[in-house]
Amino acid sequence: MSVRVSDEMERVRARAKRRLAIRRALSYLVAIVLSLWILLPIWLIASTALTTPEAMRHFPKGVLPFIPFSFDTMRFFLDSHGILPGLVNSVVVALMTLGLSTLIAAPAGYALSRYSFRGRETFRLSILAVRAFPVVILSIPLAFTFISLGIFDSIPSLALMHTALTLPTTVLVIGSVFAGIPYELEEAAQVFGCTPLQAFRTVVMPLALPGIAAAGLFTFVMSWNEVFAATVLTVKNRTLPAQVLVSLREASDAYKFAGGFFMLVPSVIFIVIIRKYLFNMWGQASK
Amino acid sequence: MSEIRIEGVTKHFGDFVAVKDVSLVVAEHEFMVLLGPSGCGKTTLLRAIAGLGMADEGRISIGGRDVTYLPPRERHISMVFQSYAIFPHMNVFDNIAFGLRMRKEDKTEIEERVRLAAELLHIEGMLDRYPSKMSGGQRQRVAVARAIAMQAQVLLMDEPLSNLDALLRLEMRAELKQLLAKIGTTTVYVTHDQVEAMSMGDRIAVMHGGTIQQVDSPTEVYDFPANAFIGGFIGNPPMNFLMGQVRRGPGGTTVRLGEFDVAPAAEMQQVLSKYDGKPVVLGIRAENLETLNEQAPDALMADVLVVEPLGAQNLLTVAFGGHKIKVATHPAFPASAGGRVWLRLPSDSIRWMDPDTKQALRPSDHREAAR
Amino acid sequence: MSVSPLRASGRRSFKWTPYLLIAPALLYLLLFFAWPMTQAIQLAAWEKHGLLSLRDSPGEEGSVGTIEQGTSISVMERRVVPLPVEESDGSDIWFFVEGKDEGGGEVRGWLPESRVRIRETDSSGTPVLGTVRPRLGASAGQGTVLHERPDELGEPVGELSARAEATILRRCSQEVWYRVEGTSGGKTASGWARGRNLQVYADGDSGRVGIGDTGRFTLLHIHRMLKDRFFRSALWTTFLLMLLIIPVQLVLAIVMALVIQSRIRFSLVFLAIFAIPLAASDLAVGIVWSSIFTQNGFLNSLLYSLGLISSPQPYLTAATRHWILVAVWIAEVWRATSLVMVIIVSGLQAISQEVLEAAELFGATLWQRVRYVILPLLKPSIQVALILRTILALQVFAVVIALGGGDVVTVLANETYRQYYALRNMNAAAAYSGLILLLSMVSAVFYLRTVRGGEEAIS
Repeated sequence: MSVRVSDEMERVRARAKRRLAIRRALSYLVAIVLSLWILLPIWLIASTALTTPEAMRHFPKGVLPFIPFSFDTMRFFLDSHGILPGLVNSVVVALMTLGLSTLIAAPAGYALSRYSFRGRETFRLSILAVRAFPVVILSIPLAFTFISLGIFDSIPSLALMHTALTLPTTVLVIGSVFAGIPYELEEAAQVFGCTPLQAFRTVVMPLALPGIAAAGLFTFVMSWNEVFAATVLTVKNRTLPAQVLVSLREASDAYKFAGGFFMLVPSVIFIVIIRKYLFNMWGQASK
Repeated sequence: MSEIRIEGVTKHFGDFVAVKDVSLVVAEHEFMVLLGPSGCGKTTLLRAIAGLGMADEGRISIGGRDVTYLPPRERHISMVFQSYAIFPHMNVFDNIAFGLRMRKEDKTEIEERVRLAAELLHIEGMLDRYPSKMSGGQRQRVAVARAIAMQAQVLLMDEPLSNLDALLRLEMRAELKQLLAKIGTTTVYVTHDQVEAMSMGDRIAVMHGGTIQQVDSPTEVYDFPANAFIGGFIGNPPMNFLMGQVRRGPGGTTVRLGEFDVAPAAEMQQVLSKYDGKPVVLGIRAENLETLNEQAPDALMADVLVVEPLGAQNLLTVAFGGHKIKVATHPAFPASAGGRVWLRLPSDSIRWMDPDTKQALRPSDHREAAR
Repeated sequence: MSVSPLRASGRRSFKWTPYLLIAPALLYLLLFFAWPMTQAIQLAAWEKHGLLSLRDSPGEEGSVGTIEQGTSISVMERRVVPLPVEESDGSDIWFFVEGKDEGGGEVRGWLPESRVRIRETDSSGTPVLGTVRPRLGASAGQGTVLHERPDELGEPVGELSARAEATILRRCSQEVWYRVEGTSGGKTASGWARGRNLQVYADGDSGRVGIGDTGRFTLLHIHRMLKDRFFRSALWTTFLLMLLIIPVQLVLAIVMALVIQSRIRFSLVFLAIFAIPLAASDLAVGIVWSSIFTQNGFLNSLLYSLGLISSPQPYLTAATRHWILVAVWIAEVWRATSLVMVIIVSGLQAISQEVLEAAELFGATLWQRVRYVILPLLKPSIQVALILRTILALQVFAVVIALGGGDVVTVLANETYRQYYALRNMNAAAAYSGLILLLSMVSAVFYLRTVRGGEEAIS
């Protein structure tokens, strides 16, 4: 036999429940609308890239993709002049950037998270400031310098540039990854007989690896996507985005749309893989 | 006007029932403490009173007004949160003034009330300081000041002292008690610290497993716990519990502890006789045992295992007949580990409990604990 | 947040470790940020050869005055000054040669190194034998004069015909210096200068300053940029896009963030979807939206199928400039809102739940909670998001090209690229990129000033 509340209370409760339900429904609605807004263009480009060039030229465009489904357009794009080499270049540059950036950033990130030293805050602030630097103002003089050094228009020099662009973010992210691993673990390992280096290797590295890998993946994609510096710093050894950009004016629709789709696919896959780390990366990496 | 009446309140989270059919009346101006271990439901109950987690069943009334499903701001209550929850982007003045400002009170009124509250908490000199520049103890004062500035009918406090260090906690306990006595608001105070509960409450409601086990004054709860859980939870060291065998004989009912016979108090004879042939739980506090250095006919012999000199008393861990209990003695009482001691169990200090339900056994005419 | 205690650098033993660890990164950043920045400023505002320094006497290094490049000068004196061979750049070397002239007679004299093709050198690399180079063009067929001293104005003592053999007996190098006077920048200066920095006319009395040897600050490039016919359009368009895009993105991002924070199911899925554009290349996004806005693209297809238009409408042509802007606007909102959103979401998560409950308990309605608690505590995040987004917006590039081709609608970054690539004008390109940097810094300072408050919130 439970206690009954007053009638007024029943009404209040019902009203509150209704309001909550409406709010939830509204949230769902907004979420779904926004999701469609995000997904629709991707759907459309997929539908036009995964069909035959003839179907692509047809007007009005079918929205239902995959009718007919064909890799012809993609193949046309990939066979186009400079695309396959561009693809290879992009991958190579991105890998080199990934390696170099992680290699340089990891110790700096570790130092930031574990040590308190004079100039720490200045270092950290300059990393934050440099992160926001326009790529535009760096590319032009670097082109100049690379020309006079004789390393212009080469894959390694572009990788150097991309490393510079991604270094600040990587330092901050790796720093926060290490900061999240309690120092007591390293101390405990040392108490039980490890040297500091062994302690780092056996205790910290395994825990930090997922975060570092995510940061590395992020660096890879940033390099893969980068357009301006790539266009400025390469002529014969273009990366994929640079190649596509330069050919854009004369390009046929098939080339363009297949190219756009092809460049987009890694992004989507990438986000799916690292969605857990999204907050850590952008949230903590900002001021 | 500010009486809190909780009737049959139940709250579940999914399959888990946090608060089970709880009823309680907090009288006007009363300082009621909800005491219990973590997970007992005390914070859930407090939040139900506050309106931060509405009850699923039952009714809550404040000052005769049914508030069960009213949003918090319509209940005329005030609260101090465990983490203080003061607004980091506002200075002390604005923090204390927040509730009054939300109610669109008049500016001079706000100013006056804020100053008054700040004075009561001795923080009138920090009104323009920001929380990030304050210690934990100072922030706690701001939280309390913010709550009392509202001059609400009911004040709720969710473990406000638990984040302070031991010394500060001691200080604040006394200060808070004095302050709240002065203001006289009806207060519900949640804590897991039984010392806090004992020191501050007018009455203590001991909770366990989502239900209220006993509601009584601190001394009643201490001296006459309603069950073994309460006896073991309150008091430091906890109450000792021993299992004895009831024997009803020609001279009366006695309880056998190993090789020793305990004679229950006269008023318990009738109740205990019903347990003839069955076991029964015997509870006695460490400080109520009498200790002797030599044998006596009504004393039981025990081996001393550990002697802990605590300054004001010595705490002995002794063993006999398979039992291990704690005994408090005067610091000068000679005892050493490995030695022997003789214990007397004064019958009026023994609390008898049912071995199955663990409920306290009362003589038939003993007054019941308010429930 | 951080659980690890920090190891403080000991006072007695100075710990090098942290400095060693950050050294590579620090070095890299100096190399790739500080250095290019100074280079860029130099390119944009510095003319390496803008001035000619005049010296007290030939061969001296101290400057007694400067004349701007291109100024007319009067030539007062001419002197030939010897120069160690190692210091010359080749053009000042003279050979003393011996050979046979047309008539077969032996002649000896000095001629410039540029008239000789070296055939043999000795073991130390010094030329010993050569042939006279034939003249080209109008003076083809003529021989080369030998002078009595290593000076063009020296007396001719013979002539060797083209391809005649010449034994190189000696060589020396020297510079020709002139004492000149000229007026530039309101000041008259006179002194000695090298011949290679001047153009002396045939009369030998007047000339012009050619390539200078001293740099100076110049607003020349900046002027050129400002007068460039695309400048105003690029500036205006960039600003317009910024003003249209950023507020919309801020609001949209806050809505997205609130949706993710509201306790609905699948919020992680929604988060992942909302964040997809974060990892997309801006070029890809531009192409994606061009597939929608292009003449036989999806927008027209939709409108046509709904019967709203009778034939495909052009959106991305020169005649429909405002439509291109709309397309860029939509594409940018689609692409970059995720960045703002992610920053705001982490800002929201940092707001403790109990603080919001306290606000509710002390009387704040939902709107009051948003206004007095949530927004103020979000200010740091909003600040960061705005700064980052604005700086990125100033560099919008690939999207504009993909949708507008860069000529009809242009932005600052595109102009930088055009100057660099099409017009090969590094200085103007540097000027444009310098402008972008300047605007970025100004806006960062602006945001730091105006979106203030909440600093006290960080504890």
